[in-house]
Amino acid sequence: MSLFKLNPQTAKKLRRFREIKRGYYSFLILAVFLLLSLTGELFINSKALVVSYEGEIFFPTYSAFHPGTDFGLDYQYETNYRQLKQHFTDTGSDNWVLMPPIPYSPFENDASTGIFRPEPPDAAKQHYLGTDTTSRDILARLFFGTRIALVFAIGFMVAVYLIGVAVGCAMGYLGGMFDIISQRLIEIWSNIPFLYMVIIVFSVIPDAFTIFSRILILLGVMVLFSWTSMTYYMRTETYKEKSRDYVAAARVLGASNTRIVFRHILPNVLSTLVTFMPFTIVAAISAITALDFLGFGLPPPTPSLGELLKQGTQTLRTAPWIVMSAFGTLVVLLTLVTFVGEAIRESFDPKKFTLYK
Amino acid sequence: MNTSVKLRLLLLACAAMLTACGGGSEQSASEDSGLDNSQEVLDYYAAHPDLFTFATPADIPADLVWDDGMDEPIIGSPDAKKGGTFYYYIEDFPPTLRFTGPDTNSSARSWISGYYRFGYAHQHPDTKGFVPGIAERWAIDYDNQTVYVKINPAARWTDDEPITADDQMFSLFFYLSDYIQAPYSNNFYGTQYTNITKYDDYTFSMKVATAKPDMAEYVLSLGPVPQHFYKELGEDYPERYQWRYEPHAGPYFIDDTNIDMGTRLIVQRKQDWWAKDSKYWRNLFNVDQITLSVIRDAAKRTEAFRRGDLDMMMVPTAELWYDSFPDTDPDIAGGYIHKNTFYNGGPRSNWGLWINSDRHLLDNLDVRLGIQYAANWDLVISNYFRGDVGRLRTPNDGFPEFSNTDIVPRAFDIAKATEHFAKAGFTQRGPDGILVNAQNERLAFTLTTHYDRYADVFTILKEEAIKAGLEIRIEILDGAAGFRKSREKQHDMYFMSYAPQQIMYPSYWQSVHSDNAYDDAFLEDGSVNPDRKIKTQTNNTESIADFELDQWIEEYDDSSDKERMIELSHMIQQRMHEYASFSPGFVEDFYRTMYWRWVQWPEGFNFRFTTYPWEMFGFWIDSQMREETNAARRAGRTFEPSIEVYDQFKGLQ
Repeated sequence: MSLFKLNPQTAKKLRRFREIKRGYYSFLILAVFLLLSLTGELFINSKALVVSYEGEIFFPTYSAFHPGTDFGLDYQYETNYRQLKQHFTDTGSDNWVLMPPIPYSPFENDASTGIFRPEPPDAAKQHYLGTDTTSRDILARLFFGTRIALVFAIGFMVAVYLIGVAVGCAMGYLGGMFDIISQRLIEIWSNIPFLYMVIIVFSVIPDAFTIFSRILILLGVMVLFSWTSMTYYMRTETYKEKSRDYVAAARVLGASNTRIVFRHILPNVLSTLVTFMPFTIVAAISAITALDFLGFGLPPPTPSLGELLKQGTQTLRTAPWIVMSAFGTLVVLLTLVTFVGEAIRESFDPKKFTLYK
Repeated sequence: MNTSVKLRLLLLACAAMLTACGGGSEQSASEDSGLDNSQEVLDYYAAHPDLFTFATPADIPADLVWDDGMDEPIIGSPDAKKGGTFYYYIEDFPPTLRFTGPDTNSSARSWISGYYRFGYAHQHPDTKGFVPGIAERWAIDYDNQTVYVKINPAARWTDDEPITADDQMFSLFFYLSDYIQAPYSNNFYGTQYTNITKYDDYTFSMKVATAKPDMAEYVLSLGPVPQHFYKELGEDYPERYQWRYEPHAGPYFIDDTNIDMGTRLIVQRKQDWWAKDSKYWRNLFNVDQITLSVIRDAAKRTEAFRRGDLDMMMVPTAELWYDSFPDTDPDIAGGYIHKNTFYNGGPRSNWGLWINSDRHLLDNLDVRLGIQYAANWDLVISNYFRGDVGRLRTPNDGFPEFSNTDIVPRAFDIAKATEHFAKAGFTQRGPDGILVNAQNERLAFTLTTHYDRYADVFTILKEEAIKAGLEIRIEILDGAAGFRKSREKQHDMYFMSYAPQQIMYPSYWQSVHSDNAYDDAFLEDGSVNPDRKIKTQTNNTESIADFELDQWIEEYDDSSDKERMIELSHMIQQRMHEYASFSPGFVEDFYRTMYWRWVQWPEGFNFRFTTYPWEMFGFWIDSQMREETNAARRAGRTFEPSIEVYDQFKGLQ
């Protein structure tokens, strides 16, 4: 799409963004983390990366499940690969297992004493951040919880912008009655309490829905009640641009409305949009964490930052490592995104030499 | 930026609104409004001559054997001292001070009435024998299904008006009235009692519908309703009486000035209580004042207790007992906070999975049996509860004689679970290890609950069930939504317990009779009605419908022969076990309490048939010791630690 073809102006802005080191490195860290997390199962997983059994090689990470009987064990359910590894070592066979660096899934209870309770960080057991109240690995839960939060936030941002930009542009460009009616509707819509809607929606959706579709529904509800604020900015920006000479010129040349909006107006209001993006992400991450904290968010046992924070506040005295991990992650994550946002704002600022003090 | 701020504000505002709900209404004026329903009440009596009879003392049968209940052992400790303030919490402010009608079933209900409201006679908390309350003596005529009661002339309402037989007559009018908007009471009083007769101001008799072995309890556990207080009873009852405290015969009351809307409630002892010197009550109800602060969050309650803002705390989880307050904790090792475990008797909370056998797939016995074997309660008990609790056998444990102790709950067994699932057609494992049948349906069910404090239990069950090829989806709803779902029978499996009632024998009709599962469950010949529809809003959470079981339950309910009832009870429980729609979870035969040193207890800590440490209020507060302990704690002086186990009633049920 030509919208994203770099014109010299944009290239300059991007260059300026790269010059703002703090934001740029934050962006790189986040991007690398996001890429890594997409293949997170290779690093943090209770399933082995590779199993060599009787001369055959298995890759259980992404394949269908292997019952214990596949590897000569006596049970029908999913193989416990940590035990399998131990078993192979004990029996001194030629078979071997290669486990990921953190050999725990975010769901399994691994209590060293047989009692489910938080255990402090222990490098020897490869619980680098300790375990939570039911002895699940905190690092695994944090990692996948953060991944869900990030993907959720990005999905949220894209959806909010699609709707917000479309409606805002239409309001600003078409104006007149359409504008007035839409504005009133938006005002009414934005007064519906969002948390109540989440509670109500979740109490009526059939329980047969999978966790993934529940997350999508939560996303849908949040988007439904968050797109409105974007329309205000888009509407004013479009109004402003619409009365500019270049739009008039385009119209005189016979350009269609679609062409004017997409080829002329949108690229010019892009800077407004882009500067808001990181803050929308921050908002989405905080919102999903807050919802989880209150117990209205992702269904258990989905790993989530809010759920860990909640556990942490309840075990402040007995297991401070839970709250420290969750809180630390949240602070780092939100700080990084905010740095990126600040850098974007600065690089898109038409007044280049503004100094922030 | 705006989106972010707005979202957060919205969240904050919503959270604030959610927590701020409840209470808040203006107190209604309680001046005399000039309304008087005396004539209406008399007209009602006249219109129902079968129900309300007026007789003379001469009509009382002469051969009655009167009992005054004075042979039971005394309750509580003679060392108990009156006085002091007991600080405790309520989870939420009650939405009303009424005892009856809409919104009265709140978590604070027991504190505004239940724990200290008086009936005609009470069961002794150790022996279960009747000891006199408002009644001076009583007589039971089993042949005529009638209980005679002589009210103690000294008995007074908390507003000092005398209690008379008229108040008992009125109570029937009250509970049968549509004004109170309490269909349960209407139904209960309408079906259980067939007559009330007044002989003189202090003597009345009541006739019950069936002569059950515990017939006496049906009448003696009742209490009168103050007629003088309800002169203004009418259509506007819920609003008119919303914040007016009903006088009762008990030792504590709530004064208008002691209601701090939304934040605090103070319960006061009636210094000149009419029964304060009687044999059974003089050592109980010792504290002068009970200050109940609203603290909604469990973690905050723990901290409030640790600061000494609360005097006592129940300890529901092993985590609190062993990790948050270990025996080595400075406050416990220093003897400031005492810990104890008390083994009690009586019916138990039946925690477990209530499986809705009306749902698709769950209507198959083999699927249900498979689920029974796939639920690893033993692991929950050993690893989550640290072995402190026991395994529940049936939903009706803890009724001496009536509970069938031969039933053995099914233990976690992957082989048996797989075998039953295979019989039900689930033979193949899908790519995620979950069983599928020939129609490609996954063996997946939802576990719904509103007990988020047990969230960890569900994740353990879920992870273990996967081994047997069963997927459990966890759905934790808030209280009202979850409860509604189970009442509408929309659940696959529901995790909860029914609150134990201190009654003699279990009631089966409400929970397992087909009347409460379907409309017209069976045809005349006992075969399943193909057009039957699920019945909602009943306690048959498992949708059990079994023709033979129905016959037994009906016989059980109609029977007045205790031996036959016990036999039937065992048969019913055995059949419920075979039906496999309740997966028995865990049972606690004890409660654990932590309290500050100044809370003093009778010997043996508490009474056998109690569920809470404060029941019957046998403890007392030593205010001097409170000062002394606080001073010592500041100065760093310690006392002998006290960590006790009271197991004198252990294993006795």
